[in-house]
Amino acid sequence: MNCLSLGLLLHLLEFTDSAFPVGAFSFSNGVETAAETGEVKDAESLREYARDIVRRTATTDCVAAVCAMRACRAGDYEAVAEADESLWLAKLNTEARQMSVRMGRKTAELAERILSDSEAWHSSGSRWLADVVSERVRGTHAVTMGILFAACGLSERELFASLFYGSLNTVLSAALRCVRVSHYDTQRILFDLSGEADALFAGVSEMELADMNSFAPQADILASLHEKGSRRMFMN
Amino acid sequence: MKGAAIRELHPYLGSGAVPAASAGKCGCLRLGFELDGRGRSIMRDLERRAPLIVQQELYFDEEMPEMPCVYILSSGGPNVDGDRYEQCFTVRRNAFAHISTGAATKLAEMRCDYSGMKQHFELEEGAYLEYLPEPTIPCRHTRFACETTIRIAESATLFYSEIYTSGRRYFRDERFAYDLLSVSTAAERPSGRRLFRERFVIEPSRGGVESRGVMSGFEIFGNAVVLAPPASVDAIYARTDAFIDRERGLAAGVTRLPDDCGLSLRVLGRETEQVKHLMREFCSTVRMTVKGKPLFREFPWR
Repeated sequence: MNCLSLGLLLHLLEFTDSAFPVGAFSFSNGVETAAETGEVKDAESLREYARDIVRRTATTDCVAAVCAMRACRAGDYEAVAEADESLWLAKLNTEARQMSVRMGRKTAELAERILSDSEAWHSSGSRWLADVVSERVRGTHAVTMGILFAACGLSERELFASLFYGSLNTVLSAALRCVRVSHYDTQRILFDLSGEADALFAGVSEMELADMNSFAPQADILASLHEKGSRRMFMN
Repeated sequence: MKGAAIRELHPYLGSGAVPAASAGKCGCLRLGFELDGRGRSIMRDLERRAPLIVQQELYFDEEMPEMPCVYILSSGGPNVDGDRYEQCFTVRRNAFAHISTGAATKLAEMRCDYSGMKQHFELEEGAYLEYLPEPTIPCRHTRFACETTIRIAESATLFYSEIYTSGRRYFRDERFAYDLLSVSTAAERPSGRRLFRERFVIEPSRGGVESRGVMSGFEIFGNAVVLAPPASVDAIYARTDAFIDRERGLAAGVTRLPDDCGLSLRVLGRETEQVKHLMREFCSTVRMTVKGKPLFREFPWR
């Protein structure tokens, strides 16, 4: 982190903060149904579930995001679009796809305003937003974050950290509203699981799009219950 | 299958007493189905290399006497290290078929290399195929890589399923003792347009396989994919329930694949029988929706 200027560090915080208005707060990553069915009922079960979700984010979204960032740096727009399409095709839950493209589009729209003076964003980001709007690309959140981070000069590690934190925070903030846990519990879980980020990133940084994988059948079943159910506070 | 192309296999590549992919280790099966002109679907092509065996199609289904049912047998006992099997199934225009295996697929304990399976499904316009094999049982130190590709026309229907158990549970309490399961399935249209890609890599030694969002205390994992025209997809989705029933030890969920090209069903269970039963029910829903007939009753000895 030594080489990261304060300006960049603050950009990283801004894009990662749950106050960054892309709508992350309206999704729960299955926690709502997990709480309702009793699958997640206390701090210990929440920790386990949050770990499963963040691991899945690492081996899918983070891989696509890192690949998109590399493609962006190489000026290869087609490869960015390929990362986006591959991620979309690998997301087998309807709500997970919805969540990803809604947040992706908002991220692109926001970046277009924030980075209106940035050459780097204009070279790929503006075209990306236009393609998202005209539905030429899917506009997944992870890939859009890859483009945004590349334009700002942030690194792959920082991109990974941001998506890792975002995924974990979505689960934990939702849990505060539907599981019997306190802020002390969720912050402790966030703190502890962050300790696994380095090892996960080491694996992710070596992976290519074809290596993306996930295995979380119970989380898929919970997502399906949510999708088929009527009682819901969160969109996902 | 080239193991070098699959990252998670790298630690295991290497040759044992019999080199990988040498004679007797490359089972191969090519089956082709088509209509015979009288409304019956027949197995027109049968090409096989031991240890994979198919003898002939059978017509025992009273509800659908025109439906060829095929059982794949393996004469070599369990799949061992260095095995490279290949299966290719083609269902031509408007033809149909039901494929299963004669018994559970056992994946032996492995010391070097891995066991590989490559499958391809080709479905032309109006074709219909059910692939409902018996479960796969991975033993201690099993490494298994299964790569499935599907090319399917828009008006065709494919039911594809697989069941993986946690291992030989009644032998040395061997649960999740395997090294690696790497399973990928990808589908596309004849035009080359991609439909979805699923890939799961399970390495129990890395931890987390029994975790709450993963197996969550269950032992058997069932996975099914249905690719069908949109109207059928909607009907099957509406008729399929999602539930978690801890008392029965069974859970299932269904969701739509990208761009509504089909459905993905996940099943988790404590016992193999329950998962098999639910998988058959799901397959029956698909047949009922597309062909208007239920799946035949399972034989009591299976």
